[in-house]
Amino acid sequence: MKKRMLGVIDATTYHEDLEELTVHRSLAAVPFAGRYRLIDFVLSNMVNSDIESVAIFPKYQYRSLMDHLGSGKNWDLNRKRDGLFFFPSPLLDSPSKGIGSFNHFAANLDYFYRSKQEYALISNCFTVFNMDFRPVLDRHIMTGCDITVVRQDGRSLEMYLVKTSLLINLIENRNETGYTCMSDVVTDIHHSYTICNYEYTGLAVMIDSIENYFAASIGLLEPEAWKNIFLRSQPIYTKVKDEPPTRYMKGASAKNSMIANGCMIEGTVENSIISRGVKIGKGSVVKNCIIMQKTQIGENCVLDSVILDKDVKVESGARIEGRHEMPLVIRKGTVQGALMNS
Amino acid sequence: MGKKKCVAMLLAGGKGSRLSSLTKSLAKPAVPFGGKYRIIDFTLSNCTNSGIDTVGVLTQYQPLVLNSYIGIGSAWDLDRKNGGVTVLPPYSESSEVKWYTGTASAIYQNLNYLKQYDPEYVLILSGDHIYKMNYELMLNYHIEKGADATISVIEVPWPEASRFGIMNTDDEMRVAEFEEKPAYPKNNLASMGIYIFNWSVLKEYLEMDDRNPESSHDFGKDIIPLMLDENKRLFAYPFNGYWKDVGTVKSLWEANMDLLDDECELNLFDHDWRIYSVNPNHPPQYISTQAEVAESLINEGCTVEGEIEKSVLFQGVLVGKNTVIRESVIMPDAVIGENVYIEKAIVPSGMNIPDGVVISASEEDDEIILITQEMIQGICS
Repeated sequence: MKKRMLGVIDATTYHEDLEELTVHRSLAAVPFAGRYRLIDFVLSNMVNSDIESVAIFPKYQYRSLMDHLGSGKNWDLNRKRDGLFFFPSPLLDSPSKGIGSFNHFAANLDYFYRSKQEYALISNCFTVFNMDFRPVLDRHIMTGCDITVVRQDGRSLEMYLVKTSLLINLIENRNETGYTCMSDVVTDIHHSYTICNYEYTGLAVMIDSIENYFAASIGLLEPEAWKNIFLRSQPIYTKVKDEPPTRYMKGASAKNSMIANGCMIEGTVENSIISRGVKIGKGSVVKNCIIMQKTQIGENCVLDSVILDKDVKVESGARIEGRHEMPLVIRKGTVQGALMNS
Repeated sequence: MGKKKCVAMLLAGGKGSRLSSLTKSLAKPAVPFGGKYRIIDFTLSNCTNSGIDTVGVLTQYQPLVLNSYIGIGSAWDLDRKNGGVTVLPPYSESSEVKWYTGTASAIYQNLNYLKQYDPEYVLILSGDHIYKMNYELMLNYHIEKGADATISVIEVPWPEASRFGIMNTDDEMRVAEFEEKPAYPKNNLASMGIYIFNWSVLKEYLEMDDRNPESSHDFGKDIIPLMLDENKRLFAYPFNGYWKDVGTVKSLWEANMDLLDDECELNLFDHDWRIYSVNPNHPPQYISTQAEVAESLINEGCTVEGEIEKSVLFQGVLVGKNTVIRESVIMPDAVIGENVYIEKAIVPSGMNIPDGVVISASEEDDEIILITQEMIQGICS
């Protein structure tokens, strides 16, 4: 009984608190855990839950997101039937209050009309989790509810399961009902739908600020946390790169860190997340940091509690320190000189 | 099929018997190398990087792993509408089943594959070597020399020359004589088993060779000497750079260790000549608080809680607490327990080393230990 659910990912969300990481990219494409983008988690969960048709609704800066997803091959979604669909918003400045803008869906109603899947799972794009959606569907069918909301400790994870026909209905009648998105429906006390909750007990972090992005990243270094997210039976897929294994040179040292491929490490790394293709020079000490792709750190640098975005160049001898509760973010492609932050 | 200027034929049916248990259930080109790759990745990546988009891969010995690894060639960007990679196993004809009895017979039996593309040149490769080479430069050389066939050669140390097929050349690099493992070598230019032939010449000689019942159907032993006898224009193409036949456990280990050497010419980090491979989906490696890693190459999906020194760890390897691994190669998905000591060894794919096992070669013995299941059972019983 495959092909019962459509996956719908709302990738339009913009969190002002994450501005420094979303200048060049949409929230869905923010790098996470050394080799992933935030959207990989929900997208892989959908694929691992037998969902074979996924529609992505992006807005803002979606070049990097499209580049990341490509044909969907890495998620096995490059299919003749169904597969990955990309529906950029034609309405650039229509503000949406919640996940699953009906206006945005309305512009692509044909997708919903044509799909044969009976149910649709609507989700946000910024939750880090590894969840099987099939039990949600089983519960939804068993209880006969109209809408099932996935929650954790009572808080909505902004994921909704509905019949595709009900979703079409909500989209078509949005002007009469005044509902702009799924959360409008769920939070309205006058509606006539049966709403059920599905409590998710695994690890789930919704990324909505620099502080919680940093905390969730560093938190992943707890073996209990990463074992909850990276399951061999339910892998998180991402765009693969042909990087060689990471090379530790003479004098290198690494402790309690997660390190992706293609790095060359000559310095010391502690409590950090290092993305693909990063270079860390001799004598440099990197502690409590998140270093994104292809960033180069010179020799004898000291970095503590810093998020270095992609392609940053840190010149030898530089000292950059943030605070653990409020890390410093260094923007993509910038050069950090030795004297700038001393 | 559209016409192609140059089609590559990659011989990948070798057993590699000196690799012992490593090639028990897979062909030599499929043996893991360099923390991430299989040996054949180097030749296939060289093809792509040299602009050759049509590659026939000839398989015979234990082809399952190799076939599924190559797939439709997408890892090397060789999934093409016209050309791309084609796996060519031996097949039966109405009268008989024909195994590939030699390198030349393997190509001869696939003349129909080549005829589809009607190429001008055919590049013959072997999937047994670790090297980075631009075949386009070799082809240009072949064309400039007006050669019928060009053989890539590498200078080997004189004392080792008698282990190789040696090309004796004139000042113009034209091959005058070919000697297979000469006792008294006159030259130190060894054949790398890489040939470029003009298609028409290759076809003619393969057909001739097939009719000769005395022939062993081998390029080095039969085709090349016959062409020299008939005064064809054969040239040696000198190659400079890293090239290694990883035919023994020791040389496989050495080639892995070469990757940890700063002076090594084989640079895996060169983005202009990437070595492509099938990328399994693993999370980043996790190096724990108790771990120590130095001078090593470690792939994604590893969890390291012990001490790693001068070693190569493939994807998905787990290393337990208080374990020490020195100068060793740990192949994919091996699980190394706690309090284990491993030195100068190769641990094959998926092997489970229980807690407390100690494996190291004796001081005077400079052999490399290839760990086997029987060995582990012997230690633990």
